[in-house]
Amino acid sequence: MSIAELPSTPATPPLFERVSAAKKAEVVRELSTLLGARYVLQTPYDLMLYEYDASIDRSTPDIVVLPASTEEVAAIVKIASRYNVPVVPRGAGTGLSGGAIPIYGGIMIVFARMNRILEIDYSNLRAVVQPGLVNLHLSNALNPQGFYYVPDPSSQRSCTIGGNVGENAGGPHTLIYGVTTNHVLGVEIVTPEGDIVQIGGWTYDTPGYDLTGLLIGSEGTLCIVTKIIVRIVHLAEAVKTMVAVFDTMDDASNTVSEIIATGVIPAAIEMMDQMILQAVEADTHAGYPMDAAAVLLMETEGLHEVVAEQTDKIVNICNKHQARAVRIAANETERQLFWSGRKNAFGAVGRISPEFYVQDGVVPRTRLPYVLRRISEICDGYGLRVGNVFHAGDGNLHPLILFDSQIPGEVERVRKAGHDILAVCAEVGGTITGEHGVGLEKQEEMALIFSEVDLRVMQQVREAWNPHQLFNPGKLFPMPGRCADMKQL
Amino acid sequence: MTEIESFATTLQQYSPAIRIISDPDELRNYTVDGVLPRFAIIPETVEQLSQAVSLVNQKGLTLITRGGGSRLNLGGIPERFDVLLETTKLTRLLEHEAPDLTCHVEAGITLTELQAKLATKGQWLALDPPDAQQATIGGILSSNASGPKRLRYGTARDMVIGLRVVQASGEIARSGGSVVKNVAGYDLNKLYIGSLGTLGIIVEANFKLQPFPTNERTLILTFSNAEDAMGTVIALLSSLLTPTAIELIDSNAASDMTDFFGLTLPTNGYTLAVNFEGSTSSIDRQIDETRNLARKNDALLSDDLFGKAQDEFWNIVREHTQGTITCKAVVLVSKMANYLETIKQICLKHEIEAAIVAHAGNGILYIELRPVDATFRLVEAIRELRLHAQEARGSMVIERCPFDLKRRISVWGEPDQNFFLMQRIKHQFDSKGTFVKGRFVGGL
Repeated sequence: MSIAELPSTPATPPLFERVSAAKKAEVVRELSTLLGARYVLQTPYDLMLYEYDASIDRSTPDIVVLPASTEEVAAIVKIASRYNVPVVPRGAGTGLSGGAIPIYGGIMIVFARMNRILEIDYSNLRAVVQPGLVNLHLSNALNPQGFYYVPDPSSQRSCTIGGNVGENAGGPHTLIYGVTTNHVLGVEIVTPEGDIVQIGGWTYDTPGYDLTGLLIGSEGTLCIVTKIIVRIVHLAEAVKTMVAVFDTMDDASNTVSEIIATGVIPAAIEMMDQMILQAVEADTHAGYPMDAAAVLLMETEGLHEVVAEQTDKIVNICNKHQARAVRIAANETERQLFWSGRKNAFGAVGRISPEFYVQDGVVPRTRLPYVLRRISEICDGYGLRVGNVFHAGDGNLHPLILFDSQIPGEVERVRKAGHDILAVCAEVGGTITGEHGVGLEKQEEMALIFSEVDLRVMQQVREAWNPHQLFNPGKLFPMPGRCADMKQL
Repeated sequence: MTEIESFATTLQQYSPAIRIISDPDELRNYTVDGVLPRFAIIPETVEQLSQAVSLVNQKGLTLITRGGGSRLNLGGIPERFDVLLETTKLTRLLEHEAPDLTCHVEAGITLTELQAKLATKGQWLALDPPDAQQATIGGILSSNASGPKRLRYGTARDMVIGLRVVQASGEIARSGGSVVKNVAGYDLNKLYIGSLGTLGIIVEANFKLQPFPTNERTLILTFSNAEDAMGTVIALLSSLLTPTAIELIDSNAASDMTDFFGLTLPTNGYTLAVNFEGSTSSIDRQIDETRNLARKNDALLSDDLFGKAQDEFWNIVREHTQGTITCKAVVLVSKMANYLETIKQICLKHEIEAAIVAHAGNGILYIELRPVDATFRLVEAIRELRLHAQEARGSMVIERCPFDLKRRISVWGEPDQNFFLMQRIKHQFDSKGTFVKGRFVGGL
């Protein structure tokens, strides 16, 4: 459901009816024959684990399957198609937009058993992995040889590469190196008909449409990915990590704008505001000042010469914008400490609030000061507390709105504040999501940035490949009939 | 009056300002593979263009879009072809948000003109395909043209952040946006890039930009054989060094460059040109280390270029990827030395000659074949070259060739097993076949 909307019964009939007990029994029987009963979960107790992701919404699947091979995935899809039961793929459930929530129930494919690295080729700088592989496990395997895989979502210790492909995931270090789509060359997919198809490959410029590019970030609504060919890169020779402390948010945002404008593009520029700093400090003891208005966490990497030069430039720009202090990590331990503060920020906020809701808008970097002010005004207006921890270098905001769902009406105020924030992002020429995806959560907000024609053209792709919405139904696009409901309410 | 005859009259009524060419003599400048359109249309605005497309669609006619025409030779022989639509009047730089390192531009502007405008604020679009003076942004994007510096900066798919595209119906749809990170909706930018105008007409683009590098230098190395040259390339790629481009030039290409352009390159063995950008100190160090790597791989000579000589050198190299018959083969970097040897064997067997310029760091080879009139020998040779490229996990496309050869061999090669997915997309986007068929993969 949209963040701006109350849960309601849609005026149009649902895409899929809930699976009846009799049908479920039959499907379970067929799936068990295929996979073995232990890889087909069906009791409420087992299924409950799979009803959520890291967003607000929830819905329980009817059956969860754990295939071990592409062929099994294809066979599952054929069964699902025969019984007209929807299929939703799920990685680790760390998604932040409801992409893996099975709103119509059905079969959920979980890739926990397809988690292997199939091949690493250092001379061609490629690795082939299964979708259930945990993001960090790939880099851990590559590190001893001096290589790594670039996209590093903050959830990289648990999120899977399959999920990353589904959402076109980013992360702090994608500022110069790009997001998932810039690092994937090919995929193996299963279509809604259960066909296994190879897309892209090991080399560049495959003749024909760039289907790899189209599929990455399609949020499971076009196909199911069963194998991924990625680019790997050499670890940098030198890394410098800096923390700059500011007394006003404006000084911090202006510093970001100026760093980008002068053409120094560091590996990462992350911003944390006071509320986040206090939460992080209580949790991680990374040494962040708790009374500062904002802190920038910046990293530059590359050859020694390049790093030294960039560090000088960055420090100068920080000082020019009244940085109270700029600290450079003295060693790897300190660097890890700085980063652990940032990467655990979402978890740390859990200490000061029972729940939080995170948004993912992107704005031109020059508009950061204005947009940050507006976010704080909006949240004040709804009587909500907000903290900001985000990829400032890309202009990718992550306001965390704190709330307690036990307080009547609070969830709705949170959803409305989220919607208003995205409206501001759209108004300054930005977008509603930079890396978390549209999923269930921002379906209606798609209309803030795309016209009816834009959306219709996009839906042609789903019409071409997944016309009956067998895969991940009811996601990504505004739902017909929803507006009518809003008016009735 | 037939549909085609009434078309021009109706269009002129809708858009009095639009330029319509129907004079057969003048139309000769607008042929595609020798096929003459009935009309050429040159709209002044995106709205006029959209109106023209809508009319073409309503009348059941077909069209090909062209920018500067530099890559119009790419693709199979067009099927029915009524209207040629030229975008060269759409040349406005709509926005250059320099502090945000982004811009928004109309698609008919040439790359040279755009770069000149961006340069006033010390920035550039990091694409360096050949023919920048003639090639338009729209043409570069729809043919996915690239150049040597793709090693560092990537290709169009890595820098386009938004597009406005006129659909077969004439409606205008936006994809992406104007910010550098965006996952809202399907990434249709990727679909349009390289689709050769078969899904829509790109009329505007938003790009991520790069600041000018402080300095730039090119190291020229020569080797007596492909294995040593490629050994150096692989050592470079798996080192800490960050070259911007690694170009490999074989002896025939080197000798062409010497003959035609007055540039002196050793005319036997292989030449590697390695470009570095950045601060003087980092370039100095990288050039030193590259020399060492090269020495370990038995490099014969080395020299370095900067300033004007360097610019000229790269211009010549870029332009050399466009012979009368040029094939673009892509193979794994680790298989390149082998593939270069295979090319030699195939040429010997069929008594033809190849001149090769390759983006060695990306495994991309531009193979110019001659003599151009040896049609039957060329057909056989191309077939074998393609087969070997596919065995090295790659592909081969004939980027430029005369009509006679096109009739005998597929420009793109046989479509893959995933072709049905492409067909379904084409059907959704252009069910009436408004965008001329026959030119893209599998006749799309």
